[in-house]
Amino acid sequence: MTTTGKTLGGYDKRKAGANQQNNLVAASKKNIKKIPFALFSRGAGMDLPLFFFIVVLLCIGLIMLFSASFAYCYYKYDDSYYFIKRQLVFAIVGVIAMLLISTVDYHRYHQLAWPIFLITILLLVAVLVVGKSVNGAKRWIEIGPIGFQPSEIAKFALILVFAHMISQRVGKMATFKEGVLPFLIVLGVICVLIIAEKHLSATIIVATIGVIMMFVGGTKIRYFAIPAVIGVVAIGVLLLFSEKFGYASSRVEVWLDPFNPKLGSDEAWQIQQSLYAIGSGQLLGVGLGQSRQKHLYLPEPQNDFIFAIVCEELGFVGALVVIILFALLIWRGIYVSLHARDKFGTMLGLGITFQIGIQIVLNICVVTNTIPNTGISLPFFSYGGTALMIILAEMGILLQISRSSNIEKM
Amino acid sequence: MLVAGFLIIVGFGGVIFSLIRWQVVRGEELKGAALGNILQSTELTAMRGTIYDASGDKILAQSSSVWTVVLEPNYIFDDSDAKENPRTAEQKKKIIAAGLAPILDMEEEAIYEKASQKVNFSYLKRRIETDVRNQVLQFLKDNDIDQGVYLIDDYKRYYKYGTVASIILGHTGAEGEGQNGIEYQYNDELSGTAGRLISAKNAWGTDMPFQYEQLVDAEDGNNLVLTIDETVQSILEKHLQEGIDRYVVANGAIAILMDVNTGAIVGLASKSDYDPNSPSTIQNEALRNQIDAMPETTEEEETAKSEARSAAIYAQWRNKAVSDTYYPGSVFKIITGSMALNEGVVTENSLYTCTGHYDIAGVDDPIKCWKTAGHGTQTFRQGLMNSCNPFFINIGQQVGPQAFYKYFEAFGFAEKTGIDLPGETGSLIFSEANLTPINLAVASMGQNFGINPIQMITATAAVANGGYLVQPHVVDRIVDNDGNIISKTDTSYKRQVISKETSALMADIMKDNASGTGTSTAGNGYVAGYRISGKTGTSEKMDEFRKHPERGKQYIASYCGFAPADNPQYALLVFFDEPQYDQNGSLYGGNAVAGPIFASIMEEVLPYLNVKAQYTEEEFDSLNQTAPSVVGKTLAEAYDVVGSMNLNYRVVGDSEDESLVVSNQIPQAGEAMPNGGTIYLYTQNFDDGDQQTTVPDFFGSSLSDAEYYASINNVQIITSGSGKVITQSIESGESVPEGSIIELKLADDIVTETYVYE
Repeated sequence: MTTTGKTLGGYDKRKAGANQQNNLVAASKKNIKKIPFALFSRGAGMDLPLFFFIVVLLCIGLIMLFSASFAYCYYKYDDSYYFIKRQLVFAIVGVIAMLLISTVDYHRYHQLAWPIFLITILLLVAVLVVGKSVNGAKRWIEIGPIGFQPSEIAKFALILVFAHMISQRVGKMATFKEGVLPFLIVLGVICVLIIAEKHLSATIIVATIGVIMMFVGGTKIRYFAIPAVIGVVAIGVLLLFSEKFGYASSRVEVWLDPFNPKLGSDEAWQIQQSLYAIGSGQLLGVGLGQSRQKHLYLPEPQNDFIFAIVCEELGFVGALVVIILFALLIWRGIYVSLHARDKFGTMLGLGITFQIGIQIVLNICVVTNTIPNTGISLPFFSYGGTALMIILAEMGILLQISRSSNIEKM
Repeated sequence: MLVAGFLIIVGFGGVIFSLIRWQVVRGEELKGAALGNILQSTELTAMRGTIYDASGDKILAQSSSVWTVVLEPNYIFDDSDAKENPRTAEQKKKIIAAGLAPILDMEEEAIYEKASQKVNFSYLKRRIETDVRNQVLQFLKDNDIDQGVYLIDDYKRYYKYGTVASIILGHTGAEGEGQNGIEYQYNDELSGTAGRLISAKNAWGTDMPFQYEQLVDAEDGNNLVLTIDETVQSILEKHLQEGIDRYVVANGAIAILMDVNTGAIVGLASKSDYDPNSPSTIQNEALRNQIDAMPETTEEEETAKSEARSAAIYAQWRNKAVSDTYYPGSVFKIITGSMALNEGVVTENSLYTCTGHYDIAGVDDPIKCWKTAGHGTQTFRQGLMNSCNPFFINIGQQVGPQAFYKYFEAFGFAEKTGIDLPGETGSLIFSEANLTPINLAVASMGQNFGINPIQMITATAAVANGGYLVQPHVVDRIVDNDGNIISKTDTSYKRQVISKETSALMADIMKDNASGTGTSTAGNGYVAGYRISGKTGTSEKMDEFRKHPERGKQYIASYCGFAPADNPQYALLVFFDEPQYDQNGSLYGGNAVAGPIFASIMEEVLPYLNVKAQYTEEEFDSLNQTAPSVVGKTLAEAYDVVGSMNLNYRVVGDSEDESLVVSNQIPQAGEAMPNGGTIYLYTQNFDDGDQQTTVPDFFGSSLSDAEYYASINNVQIITSGSGKVITQSIESGESVPEGSIIELKLADDIVTETYVYE
């Protein structure tokens, strides 16, 4: 790839204004219609590095899922392929969906922003009523054989609606009335509903995405001061009086001293086994497929703690490669977003990228006991069909943004 | 872009930092800890060795395979999402508790509680038998429980003969470890080496495909062959118990039979004993009932009860013959006499006049002789037979403290014998400096110093065997499972204590003493034909009296001797601690209490041990006596008459009321019958026909076989000669009343019929 300037005939992003963008919108619309499946073609093709990182991470994720789950599946279902078979189906369908979505002009989502948001609100309310209870929290809705978490959809709904709102308030974001209040209401409604599900991690992710999008979207930094102070104080209080919050506090105890022999809870066991797995990997790992901790020691190694198995089998070096790939994906996502042809694309792309990035960092932080345990899955790696589908669909949108962006394509 | 880059660096940098911390910095430590979890080392139990008696055929203690039920509560998993038979962990635990409770004979609640603990491993029930195991397996199969409960190999110790020799054998504890007696002493030899299987296990405890696996086979324990003979041991215990019952012995009793030439203990009975198959059951029924009946409503009562129970259990585990000291009393005069003869301060015929007391310069109270009138002038031989206190005080003084103490040491009283039984107590003897004239005086007659019974019999063996102090032992050899002898206890002499001549002379004098001739004091130990050498002892428990004067003076009645006098082979020490038969009468003395039991044991044991009887003409005549007349007397009167004559009785017909009149007797009054024979006393209300028996064919049997046939056919025999039966006075097949006397004539292959009964 060369610099962006040459191919696009003297285009300079620093001078890029609304007029130029509008011209490009018109141009790209034509291109998409003409060659919808021209994946990497010049002008309207996808961003090859982004696509490459997605595919590579998905492949590594599937391989690791197979490795991490086969012992568990063998013992539990007498079929080592139980999980990987299902995940592969979702991955194939998801990749096809991703490619299809990448051809759909994302501006159409302007109209979908509020309907999707409303549907999400309905789902979030519905889950409280008809949701399936797992471990004491109602988070899942089951329709036929497919189960999904409305909170997963809520993340995307928030990104979409915020991107929509920000793109409509370009230049007005500095005021409280326009740049804070509407966003606060939307974010508040979603967060309250997710908190009602007792889904702390999703709340944190949604809130973080919202705040970052507002910030990037142009909300003045001073408006974040008060919430930030409140947030810091809240976390401090939580830690200081952790014993008073039964559910979360035991996790905090484990976080502070994971190897305390007095801890007999399942959470402690999970963190301990995770750290054993990570530690066992040392520099070069015990080898692909050779994990010992996955033999029922690490509970559900295919889910939130799959990265521990990655660390054990591939070692620090392998884990570092995976993290660098993740970092490159995020970097490319941000790059693509910032080169989107309009504010909506930028905000939508950034939202999606940040969501993925936050999940990756929080997940690895949990697995390494850097933060207290909270259920966050690892994108592309963790078992879960609908979650993978949503991520791939989001990647499709990101790819679509890259198609229409002013990045040089191959 | 800057902000984005910053976020990426902070976020991912932090993550990488964490990974470095766990994987690179603490990796080795965590890997070790993880492997510690994963590598399970399963112990493979070794089978404990077998303990045989001296014959090598009788198995006294043996381990056999049983199973132990193990719970793994952490591995009872939730299967509520299984396709077939979905159950929660809780439901499974309830099924397990309900199902296993009746099989294992446990409380359902107790099993559920165990299954609910947050532990990886706990024993549910130790040592179940095959049938129970099969039921457990069937239950697990039927209820589809494949984790959380399983069976491991284990061993159970069986003691076939129950209480017999229990005090020697000991028992094993919960982990199969020896806890008493030989089981404890030879634990290392018996227990073998546990094997170990190191394998990688998944968190369910089942094997996982993994390259680590290491097997070290278990090595089964070695077997022991004892010097203890089960038959002899049973004889010892039987007669000891008889004595305890007869003389109402309060504080236990012991009997030790030793091969004087090798130091091998052939039998060692110490009552009370216990059943090693259930060592914590109080064997003494009265005591058990008494403790069971103790109240336990308050905490203090509960404590008192459990303390009483523990005290009783520890008491029954205590081997009195090894772990307790006692005052040997006059038995020790054997030693005093031996040392005096050996030192040459007296000879067989040295004279000393007993005036009934011995005065010691500077001591106000003279020491009295048991015969306060005095024995008059006696030779050494007579002095020993009289058990004359002044006589032995006198020779003790002549020996002097220095030499006396030297013999204390030489005879092994200053050190433990080193017998291969646990818990041997040291002695409490006078030091050389402490042997002042008064202490030397009491020491000469065996008072006021404590030794353990093994020391006494070992010293006696030295007197008997020509002067050699042998090493007492109970294990003859250690044999591995292929029959190879790993070690054999050779006879070892510690030293020669006295000369052969002294030894022979002592044996001869003691033989006179036991034969009941003249003034001898030990006649009750006499067994015709076996040339018993014996000495009695009646020790005053002075320290006990000082502590509990309200109980009156308590005694240890002992009898120590060996046979045959001309070629000593076996020594026997019998003592009864605190006989209570008659506080005002005389039945606490060694001769009266321990003598008859000593004789009964020797009489049965010596023929069994192939010691040949040689009767003198006199003895031969006196072997038999005539039956007294008891017809017309009441049962109570008849018992007295029969008891006074060294005869036994058996009542045929009603016997509950002792005032019933004897209507008939067999043998009839005046008929010849063997010493120790049985008179059958007939009361009213018996059917003549029922009491008939058929005379067996004795021809060709040995004496012991003949005795056996006679006993199972309820007839009595009088024998003459030795060897095999050549004639019998009543033809075989004839019907006679039970208890009838049949005279047998025995002859050796080479016919040397010195004594013929006409």
